[in-house]
Amino acid sequence: MPLPLPAPRGQAGYLSVRGARKVYNPGRDAIAVLRDVSFDVTSGEFVSILGASGCGKSTLLMMAAGLESITSGEIAIGGEPVRKPRPDVGIIFQDATLLPWETALRNVLFPIEIMRRSVAEYLPKAEELLALVGLGGFMHMKPSQLSGGMRQRVGICRALIHNPSLLLLDEPFSALDAITRDELNVALLEIWERYHQTALFVTHSIREAVYLSDRVIVLGGRPAGVAADIRIPFARPRPFSVGDTLEFNQICAVLREHIASGHKAAAAQVA
Amino acid sequence: MADNAFAAKAAELIGAPSVPAMFAMLARTGRAIALPVLAGAVLVALWEFFCSYYAIRPVLLPAPSRVLATASRAWEILVENSIPTTVETVAGFLLSVVFGSLLAVAMVYSRWLREVLYPNIVLFQLIPKIAVAPLFIMWLGIEWQSRVTIAVFIAFFPIVISTWTGLMSADPSLLRLCRSLGASEWQMFARIRVPSSLPFAFNGMKISMTLSIIGVIVGEFITSQQGLGYVILFAGSKLETALVMSAILILCFIGLILYGIVGLIEWLVMRRYGA
Repeated sequence: MPLPLPAPRGQAGYLSVRGARKVYNPGRDAIAVLRDVSFDVTSGEFVSILGASGCGKSTLLMMAAGLESITSGEIAIGGEPVRKPRPDVGIIFQDATLLPWETALRNVLFPIEIMRRSVAEYLPKAEELLALVGLGGFMHMKPSQLSGGMRQRVGICRALIHNPSLLLLDEPFSALDAITRDELNVALLEIWERYHQTALFVTHSIREAVYLSDRVIVLGGRPAGVAADIRIPFARPRPFSVGDTLEFNQICAVLREHIASGHKAAAAQVA
Repeated sequence: MADNAFAAKAAELIGAPSVPAMFAMLARTGRAIALPVLAGAVLVALWEFFCSYYAIRPVLLPAPSRVLATASRAWEILVENSIPTTVETVAGFLLSVVFGSLLAVAMVYSRWLREVLYPNIVLFQLIPKIAVAPLFIMWLGIEWQSRVTIAVFIAFFPIVISTWTGLMSADPSLLRLCRSLGASEWQMFARIRVPSSLPFAFNGMKISMTLSIIGVIVGEFITSQQGLGYVILFAGSKLETALVMSAILILCFIGLILYGIVGLIEWLVMRRYGA
């Protein structure tokens, strides 16, 4: 029975991004997306990458996942440069990307099958995870029988099944309605506070980033660089009502300012 | 009461039909079967009526009753000749599925092969295949080899196209998920591409089955050895119109059953691999 391994916490620079650049179509039609992005994430930390859509934040995440090549610079996990997808990383994609012909339970166990580990060994954990996100009674249903929010809950479970130490989240809730989105933020935080992986969360929702994170990094400009890196001071476990406090809203305002100035800088560059 | 409401809600959630919905479903199914059967019966009745009312000569158009009578009289000949026709049709179909699928897989994984083969397969398809059937007789003789080859020649094209389309229809985000998990090409093929291709592949197979029958009958016309095609040709030359029609009737029946088997397999597979 695999116990959820507590990630080694407090290891500074567990995830390190050093001078990451990304240029699509190098040559005459080159499109520079990221310029010299650098930051570190301590293990056990929840960091959000915030930016307008199309700013390259998903590209950054996919580079960390080893699914997208890096033009120059380096991204390292646990001191090891990322060259290809790693088994100690779990990814939650924008749409749940479930196999439509498999049940919720089989979808959660899919990484185990692909990694050729013992399904029987991970079955209790899959059931536990699904129960934890409130899908205990829906394990044997196919995705078409589940709502969008339920599907993404299955996606969360699937990303956690193989005990990854790093969780990469690519705007996982952007396709959901506002109410479902709030619910899933709470569910994600609950489950994260239990397993406490290092998490890199890409979003364009300021409130979502502030509610979930220990730190919020703002990407801005074109090509984008780190425009701000702000620590979020709220204690955990965090009630959802933290979003109603003055401090929360002040932080949101500061972040909004940073995003806007990034736009202005980009506009100035063009002009 | 609360339990009932809960049960109804649960049923709604898992998509199980309620009792009135089940009746409506039954009525729909019944309608779907009854309507075409009724239309067919009316047509046969009209045919029978015109044959006897206008006293049409049986050589020109035998009444359905006469076709049935002939079929029961010539039952042995018909059964005897149905067997090779059926076996060769199934063989042609299975070979088409194997060759067609292999070719489709090869075209998915080798861009070079796709560029080389695809235009040629299409060109191949433009040849009126019945016109080249005599060539097979010259190359392969007058036995089953040439009849099955003609069937494969006609029936494999829809398999290639539909299976290829199906394999290429795999959701790129699912393939990306697999890559993020370090999946091998084989795992992506078996776990994503093949299940994605199934609805397309079964459509191709259904078309291919009907084409395989055509191929075998054409082969039997030309080789003139055995089979229902041979019975049709032979009876036609003797102006035994009722026997021709009996053979056609049996042929329809065989086609229906073979098509039905493919449909049944599709239904079974899609129950597992449907959304």
